[in-house]
Amino acid sequence: MSSLGLFPMVTFACFLSAIVIGLISTWAQAFGYMPSLELTHFSVTAWQQLFSYPGFGRSIMATLISGIGATLTALVFTFLLFAFSYHNRFWRVLDHALAPLLAVPHAAFAIGFLFLTAPSGWILRLLSPELTGFSTPPDWNVVKDVYGISLMLALVLKEVPFLILIALGALGQINVQGSLAVGRSLGYEKVQVWVKIILPQLYPKIRLALFAVLAYSLSVVDIAQILGPTTPPSLAVQVFRWFNDPDFEYRLLGAAGATLILLLVIGSIGLLYLSEVGIKWLFRSWLINGQRRSRFFLLTTLSNFFISALVGISIAVILVLLVWSFTWRWQFPDFLPGDWSFRFWGKGFLQMTDPIWNTISTGIMASLLAVFLVIGCLENEIQMQKRGRKANTTKMLWLIYLPLLIPQIAFLFGVQVSLVVLHLDGFWLSLVWSHLLFVLPYVFLSLGPVYRSYDQRITDVAVTLCRSTWRTFLRVKLPILLRPILFAIAIGFSVSVAQYLPTLFIGAGRFDTITTEAVSLASGSDRRIVSVYALLQMLTPMIVFLSAILIPRFYFHDRKGMQI
Amino acid sequence: MLRYLILVLLVFGSMTLYADEWRDITEKARGQAVYFNAWGGSDVINDYIRWASDKVEQKYGVVVKHVKITDIGHVVSRLLAEKSANRTTDGSVDLMWINGENFKAMKKNKLLAGPFTQKLPNYRFVDTENKPTTLFDFTTPVDHMEAPWGMAQLVFMVDTARVSWHPTGMKELLKFAKEYPGRVTYPAPPSFYGTTFIKQALLELATNKKPLYRPVAMADFDRVTAPLWKFLDELRPFLWRKGKAFTSGAPEMKQLLNDGEIYISLSFNPNDASNAIANGELPDSIRTYVHKQGTIGNTHFVGIPFNSNSKEGAMVFANFLMSPEAQFQKAKPAIWGDPTVLAVKKLNGKDQKMLNQLPLGIATLSATALGKVLLEPDASWVGALEKAWLRRYQK
Amino acid sequence: MLQLENVQIFNAGKPLFSTLSLKIVAGEIASIMGPSGCGKSTLLSAICGNLANVFTLNGDVCLNDRSILALPMEKRRIGILFQDDLLFPHMNIAENLAFALPPELGKQERNLKIAEALEKGGLSGFEKRDPVTLSGGQRARVSLLRSLLAEPEALLLDEPFSTLDQELKDQIRSFVFETIRSMNIPALLVSHDHRDCPTGQVINLANQGS
Repeated sequence: MSSLGLFPMVTFACFLSAIVIGLISTWAQAFGYMPSLELTHFSVTAWQQLFSYPGFGRSIMATLISGIGATLTALVFTFLLFAFSYHNRFWRVLDHALAPLLAVPHAAFAIGFLFLTAPSGWILRLLSPELTGFSTPPDWNVVKDVYGISLMLALVLKEVPFLILIALGALGQINVQGSLAVGRSLGYEKVQVWVKIILPQLYPKIRLALFAVLAYSLSVVDIAQILGPTTPPSLAVQVFRWFNDPDFEYRLLGAAGATLILLLVIGSIGLLYLSEVGIKWLFRSWLINGQRRSRFFLLTTLSNFFISALVGISIAVILVLLVWSFTWRWQFPDFLPGDWSFRFWGKGFLQMTDPIWNTISTGIMASLLAVFLVIGCLENEIQMQKRGRKANTTKMLWLIYLPLLIPQIAFLFGVQVSLVVLHLDGFWLSLVWSHLLFVLPYVFLSLGPVYRSYDQRITDVAVTLCRSTWRTFLRVKLPILLRPILFAIAIGFSVSVAQYLPTLFIGAGRFDTITTEAVSLASGSDRRIVSVYALLQMLTPMIVFLSAILIPRFYFHDRKGMQI
Repeated sequence: MLRYLILVLLVFGSMTLYADEWRDITEKARGQAVYFNAWGGSDVINDYIRWASDKVEQKYGVVVKHVKITDIGHVVSRLLAEKSANRTTDGSVDLMWINGENFKAMKKNKLLAGPFTQKLPNYRFVDTENKPTTLFDFTTPVDHMEAPWGMAQLVFMVDTARVSWHPTGMKELLKFAKEYPGRVTYPAPPSFYGTTFIKQALLELATNKKPLYRPVAMADFDRVTAPLWKFLDELRPFLWRKGKAFTSGAPEMKQLLNDGEIYISLSFNPNDASNAIANGELPDSIRTYVHKQGTIGNTHFVGIPFNSNSKEGAMVFANFLMSPEAQFQKAKPAIWGDPTVLAVKKLNGKDQKMLNQLPLGIATLSATALGKVLLEPDASWVGALEKAWLRRYQK
Repeated sequence: MLQLENVQIFNAGKPLFSTLSLKIVAGEIASIMGPSGCGKSTLLSAICGNLANVFTLNGDVCLNDRSILALPMEKRRIGILFQDDLLFPHMNIAENLAFALPPELGKQERNLKIAEALEKGGLSGFEKRDPVTLSGGQRARVSLLRSLLAEPEALLLDEPFSTLDQELKDQIRSFVFETIRSMNIPALLVSHDHRDCPTGQVINLANQGS
């Protein structure tokens, strides 16, 4: 076995060890194993306490509504967009907006969404007092509502672009134009062709990404702290509070709660899978009933409207953060601040030198390591193919998705305990490693397809010319793949920037990042400084993305074949 | 005569020893990095900590890093984790800003290093006689395990531009809420400010306050707290969001006060409103007030965790925080306005004059206007009250 | 009858070929030949109604004496076959064929029609098969049968045999031509291989080029 074979082993050892150790440790605590409190017997007390905790039922309800609700709504709207708005005027806007939409981190988006939609938010400031007659904000339960609806809406707005991105990638494997042509020639309207022919083929290809979205929505902590209900909060936020409680007994309760979240995710994924089977069975005959006309004209309007809303709200979110960041005093119901100031940008940079440095250094390190490991694995795959052994791509895909399917809170609990015992928490490298766990899947997903579609024959020819595989790799393959590699680094970097729980659990309070600062200040007293932090959280990945676009353009400015 | 001489020699000797010990500490402290875990939700306080860190670095060569915390309970939790993993050195925290609830837990679980304040030269200036909360933190004896930093008293803030009167007690607060429905709220326990509000209400409404200063297990909890729950139940429908959602703490309430979503907020720093007005966080129509029966007051402290590697550096910083220079800077309304723990009489003439001549912030009450200080109940009541509140209002 | 009258297709003002007029009667299979890039596939797209936005069409296309240019693609009743069989992978063979049938048919009638069609193609009993398990030639036959089950009034073929091997080509070719002729509809085939052209009109689009 060549040295390349080490790469997949190291990579998967990285992931799996963390996940396995974390899960086992969390489960041990959930069932009463806590040596420091002299508890070493199996017990279900934590579970009894969990189910009888005040507000437990409503926590679960808010979790399920925001988690499953957001995922299903996002899926429905994604499919709606493809069926009704594909390649129309609105789609072109969406196409251009997709990359920036994806680049806005969840926490910054949630903060801006809060500032936009709260009773004292910008929308009401726009409408008041002229249209609403309000001179003070109304007492409406619009954000942080009991059922988690505002949380669900924000999640939908962030998840639809992600699903669209994955779907666009998957559509490359389906002959869309051909299907449309054949379907229409058989008399079916475009929408019917989408719904009966293309979407049924698309769904299995985005299934894993959908499961990842579901797992995330059910277990998200940072956005839920900003927009979710407060008394009681969603289960993930409640578990996080228990974990941080100075009374150590609550840790067992938290471990049980984290395990319950894992069970909820597994159960929901199972339910989704069963529904897929059920729907396939139920609608089999509907597919071929010959109905060729779509009777839902309103849906086109809805679909186009959704695109406008998505892009419009996202722009509004960024704008409201910008306005707040330059505010000195902004009284309700003024449309714009009464007094402006640059002070908070200055303050932000002064105070933020440490978090900015931590964010950037951790992000760059994690994404570089990830790209290094991923390229190693992909090269190993190529070598194995040459030897005739086919790589088991489905199994690999599930393994890659694993950190995204298991809720962070369900195993980070246990990872932290192990690191404390090993005296490994609070170190920068441990922090990088914890980010690496979540960066790896995204880097794999973004670099994999491009890497695999690279024409191997170029390397083969080059090797015969310079007689060195290393030189070929460095001087032929890498430069050709420079743009996708830089993109993968940018994506990995933005994933690392957005990490919240890993930094808190593993960093042991030593490392503030822009994200942890922003989220902790979101329920503070000063919208102005939070807006600066949120905007900085947005800017950092954007700068890296910009470099990923500009560097190849500069490097290959006179190579037309490299311009895409 | 000989006795007199021996006494003088002894005193002189112990002072030299004392001075020697302090010199050892400052020497060891030079070059140490102190991770100071303190609440980071107030710009004003963060700026002050930065000033103090700069001074200490200049004078003693100790590098202080302010680790901004949202909830000090998280840090206690982490220290417990480290203790249970037997991590007796290389702790992640060197100094922390704590208060009564957490102090009790930390003392019980042996999470603190010390006793140490007796080694700090500036400790002798602390007003232990007139400020009993410097010796008893939520009725738990301090025993030199934490260094007093500042005084706190619960005050309320009202927007005088929107309302014409303000309540002077909990019963009046109920009247106020009925007149302005949806404009009054309090943070949800177990947040620190939420529990304080509940304690304040209990202290005002309880018929017999003596059980509150004894461990909660010794009292008939339901009987003692009955008036409290009656009050909160009556208040609930008139609360902001009809009592279905609560804020996370005083900072969020300050934000709502600024927006006009609520008309009353609370704080532990009597100078908070003035700071906020100067900072643009609140309009200048905000005024501070207290309740006629008095409001809860306490001292806030800094403590050193058991496994810190920079204990000497932490001690040097704690000592500096208690110095007249630092306390004076802290008390300045334009800086922070946090009342001093020192006894002005114990200071030299120059420092006395400085502290006595501090101006008042525009929305700050004078020491006399702040009225009576109610002592914190026994720390065991905190947990019981939090659990009971959750059971009633979070279901 | 399929009729093209003075048809010319422009790309940014430049015509792809000079005006083309063509009349194909029922049962006739006309062929369009020419090198790649001369606009053969574009012409077919124009006729069936799938012309890309960058192109503009001048002239008229009539099917059975009605102009169809104003109709959207799904209403023109013109079938089209491509190089790829484009069988829907998420349906079995019977379902693929059923997709082409009109909605008014009952279940029994439908199964009957499918069975008849499969028999015509020499694929009896293939109803429940997964398209992926069929050979190239079998798939090409199913694809044609599917197009014809929709009872189009005309059929277009865009290089339908180019992906098949030589021996298969002859078999499929004769099957396709016989079946189309038996339906008695006009058909237009595009290819660059003159062996693909049956007896009938042959137009070389390159010669029509400007």
